[in-house]
Amino acid sequence: MLLELKNLKKTFKNNHVLKGIDLAVKEGEVIAIIGPSGSGKTTMLRNINFLETADAGTMTLRQKRIDMAAPTQEQVLWTRRHMAMVFQNYNLFKNKTALENISEGLIFGQNKSKEEAETLASRALDQVDLLDKKDFYPSQLSGGQQQRIGIARATVLNPDIVLFDEPTSALDPELVGTVLRDMKRLAERGQTMIVVTHQMAFARDVADRVIFFADGQIIEQGSADDVFDHPQHERTQRFLSAIAEDY
Amino acid sequence: MFDSNFALHSFPKILSVAPTTIVLSIIATILGFILAVLIVIVRERNVKILAPIAALYVSFIRGTPIIVQMYVVYYGLPQLLVALKHAGLDTSTNGLPAMLIAILAYSFNASANISESIRSAYHSVDHRQYEAAVTVGMTPTRAMTRIVIPQLVANFIPNFANLFIDLIKDTAIVYNIGIVEIMAKANILSSIGFKYLETYLDALIIYIVICWIFAKLFQVGEAIDRYHTFHTQDSI
Ligand SMILES: Nc1ncnc2c1ncn2[C@@H]1O[C@H](COP(=O)(O)OP(=O)(O)OP(=O)(O)O)[C@@H](O)[C@H]1O
Ligand SMILES: [Mg+2]
Repeated sequence: MLLELKNLKKTFKNNHVLKGIDLAVKEGEVIAIIGPSGSGKTTMLRNINFLETADAGTMTLRQKRIDMAAPTQEQVLWTRRHMAMVFQNYNLFKNKTALENISEGLIFGQNKSKEEAETLASRALDQVDLLDKKDFYPSQLSGGQQQRIGIARATVLNPDIVLFDEPTSALDPELVGTVLRDMKRLAERGQTMIVVTHQMAFARDVADRVIFFADGQIIEQGSADDVFDHPQHERTQRFLSAIAEDY
Repeated sequence: MFDSNFALHSFPKILSVAPTTIVLSIIATILGFILAVLIVIVRERNVKILAPIAALYVSFIRGTPIIVQMYVVYYGLPQLLVALKHAGLDTSTNGLPAMLIAILAYSFNASANISESIRSAYHSVDHRQYEAAVTVGMTPTRAMTRIVIPQLVANFIPNFANLFIDLIKDTAIVYNIGIVEIMAKANILSSIGFKYLETYLDALIIYIVICWIFAKLFQVGEAIDRYHTFHTQDSI
């Protein structure tokens, strides 16, 4: 296993958001996480790279065991340098150009030389078809372009795992396609990905495994066919039929 | 009648003490800025005990007139030194220069205002960029120096310019403790010549020019900083 979570728990005040999550991720696997709003999907991703600190749980990444409730600073840094994250609102650095947004992590997270970082960043920009925008600032780019740069910023680091938190939710409908296309390309190159998404078609098309998440727990998981066409749990069925009405 | 000859004659005399106003303003701003940075760190990190004290200090200073603060330092500091001397510390109590007292009082005053301005500039930087920076493997310090602080500075400069110019104008009361700056010189010349409008108009012009020059300097500084931070002239 590349990544294993055991008994991950997180409470905000009296709100039990994660109630003991177990999750194992294989190298190259693409996992789609679906579930109702407020069920704790974002919180789980944020705990995995320590943007929040869990109340309990262990994480094993590349054979290294980390106590998620009490990680050391080195463990936090090490984990983040093996993972990358794509955010719902892109969160690009507003004071950096497209190219700098991508090279910054290489230079200041991975200690690569400026030249090497720029070469790698240019290539990553090219892969999302935005090389011509390399000197643009985030404010000069559309949401879709910003998100594709967000994806390039994450993947250029050559991370073991990329975490996506609803990467297309903030986008206008006509921009969603280009972002999903870049994510699909990434999956085809063998990138391990955990994708929280409301894009059921993407989950069906690209994910090796679909996880239905509700009330801070994994209710059901399996192949896209299993979960979408033969949901075992009543909670999953209700969620899927509610979504079907929306779309 | 307005005595233009007297006005012209007084102008260079008043101008000659303008450096006192400027030096006082600049030194107080520098010291105030250093203290402000400490206040911001203490408050934003929510340091135990110190954070509420800093908050109280800021609201106290912002809630009282500067002239009162100046008198408190003017009369309080010597007494504090006497008390320290009694406690066995080697302090000289007489001859505390008025300029030193003014610098201290205005530094305290500036620190409160500047700290609030830094805090608001800091809060207007979207915190999620900091999170993005640490997820690409930057240390928290790096994330601050590469991403947050440059944007904070760009947000801060316009406000800082206003604070500095306000401070220059606020120094027009330090003649009360015997410092001869622009206002004091105008007072002295008026009382010698029994002509008031002339000298105060001179003072007015000198203040306008000083403030205008500094406003321009800050504008240029701001434009340069914005260009280096965002490469645009417009807002973020
Ligand atoms: N920093 C926080 N402080 C307090 N409560 C929080 C915090 N972050 C999340 N929560 C709470 O945790 C619960 C789960 O939130 P989370 O954002 O993980 O849900 P989600 O599944 O990602 O929802 P959505 O689909 O709307 O993004 C919610 O009840 C939310 O209010
Ligand atoms: Mg969420």
